[in-house]
Amino acid sequence: MSETILELKNIHKRFGKNNIHQGINLSLKKGESLGLLGGSGTGKSVLLRSIVGLERIDQGEILFHNKRIDNLDEEKLTPYRIKISYSFQTGALFDSINVFENIAYPLFEHTHFSYSQIKDRVGEMLKLIDLPDREEVMPSDLSGGMQKRVGMARAMILNPEVILYDEPTAGLDPANTLNVVSLMQRLKEKGLASIFVTHDIPSALMLCDRIVVLHQGKIIFDDTPLNFQASNDLIVKKFNATKD
Amino acid sequence: MKNVFQVTIDKRLEKIKEFFIFIGEIFSLLFQTIQCTFTGKFYFSRLMEQIYHLGFGSTSITIVIGLTMGLVMTLNFGYGLTKFGGTLYVPAVISLSLAREMAPLFTSLLVAGRVGSGIAAEIGAMNVTQQVDAIRALGTSPIRVLVVPRFWALVISLPLLSALSFAVGIIGGMIVCKSEFDIIPGFYFSKVFSTVKIHDYMSGIVKSAVFAGIITIFACYKGLNTKDGTKGVGASTTWVVVTASILILITDFFISKIFLVIWN
Repeated sequence: MSETILELKNIHKRFGKNNIHQGINLSLKKGESLGLLGGSGTGKSVLLRSIVGLERIDQGEILFHNKRIDNLDEEKLTPYRIKISYSFQTGALFDSINVFENIAYPLFEHTHFSYSQIKDRVGEMLKLIDLPDREEVMPSDLSGGMQKRVGMARAMILNPEVILYDEPTAGLDPANTLNVVSLMQRLKEKGLASIFVTHDIPSALMLCDRIVVLHQGKIIFDDTPLNFQASNDLIVKKFNATKD
Repeated sequence: MKNVFQVTIDKRLEKIKEFFIFIGEIFSLLFQTIQCTFTGKFYFSRLMEQIYHLGFGSTSITIVIGLTMGLVMTLNFGYGLTKFGGTLYVPAVISLSLAREMAPLFTSLLVAGRVGSGIAAEIGAMNVTQQVDAIRALGTSPIRVLVVPRFWALVISLPLLSALSFAVGIIGGMIVCKSEFDIIPGFYFSKVFSTVKIHDYMSGIVKSAVFAGIITIFACYKGLNTKDGTKGVGASTTWVVVTASILILITDFFISKIFLVIWN
């Protein structure tokens, strides 16, 4: 059995009077892909943001390799943010710099690589995301799908242990969805653990080892994709119905 | 059940609480900016880039405002003083008011409009498009990356811009003195240099540096706290220009008072 690298214990989060999470317990094993499903506004993205400390939880614990990280300040979170990478829904590329500078940003910040080493590493990443020779292009000149892939490349460039995908296929046409999903598949094959927040059930069933369903602040389903499809739970069935 | 009076009091108390939280956050941002300057990574290239954008980019508008101030003030003071036989005092009056008040104040107000709104809009747009979150998620600090270079760039640039505004204003004054009141440039400059003392220049420099701090901290704070998409960005820029301008005017009075108490 693989070791657990990320663990969420009894997570509570509220915004004003709105209870978003009411005791979430979740664990992620090394190399595992976890699909996180749920209706809009159920706090899927908030959960991902909480893991990397972009949101602070009100109660509970987040452990990475059994080390508590939810109570760390911004400076102390840095080494964990290198190991747990976040791929934003929109890509969140820095619009004032080009694709090369965007992907290279973490390398310039956290490594002592020479410029030629960084250039080689970015080149490899661009090949991996099927966007070779696009170093000089500005983010605004890329399509939505390309921006997401560049965002993923930037999130992966420091070889994290976990990557958190926030709706990577949302708003993409089928061809671009396929591109993004195949990229995620390649990363999975490299042994990268991931949490995949999505409404795209077919992609989640194809990629994930486990499916988790979030409903009214709680996890109501946590099992394999096969059992997800066979589930008799009414809410799970509703999600299943959307896959076709 | 609360009555209307209690509800009103609660609302007022809530507003007061929000105000103190806001003040605390502004000082916290200032403290963190200074702390980040002297600890950890410093982005020198970003500082130079910001000096170019915020400082060098404001030179043309500074020259225009400086020249206009010099020309208009000299014209008005000149005709006013001539009535009482005080034409020869025009260079002294102009140089003192430019050095102590007009050059730093008007330059800073102009820069608050140009640079303050620009910073708030840029960081605000980054915030609503999750770029600020991306900076954090990639293990870097938005304060270190965005605030520190802008803060120091303007603290360095604004006193220089004020000095430029003063110099151009003095030249404008000289032009009017020569053409309207037959004051020769030699006499004009000798009066200027003998009237304006080091503490007058210092007053202008200190004021400009403080105003620069006010502009950048308020603009960065508002940018980092921008919500509600493009509408929020627009609201942030307006808020920054109005707030920074009012604070500059209020602070100007107190710094002037401090300098007058110290040097007189």
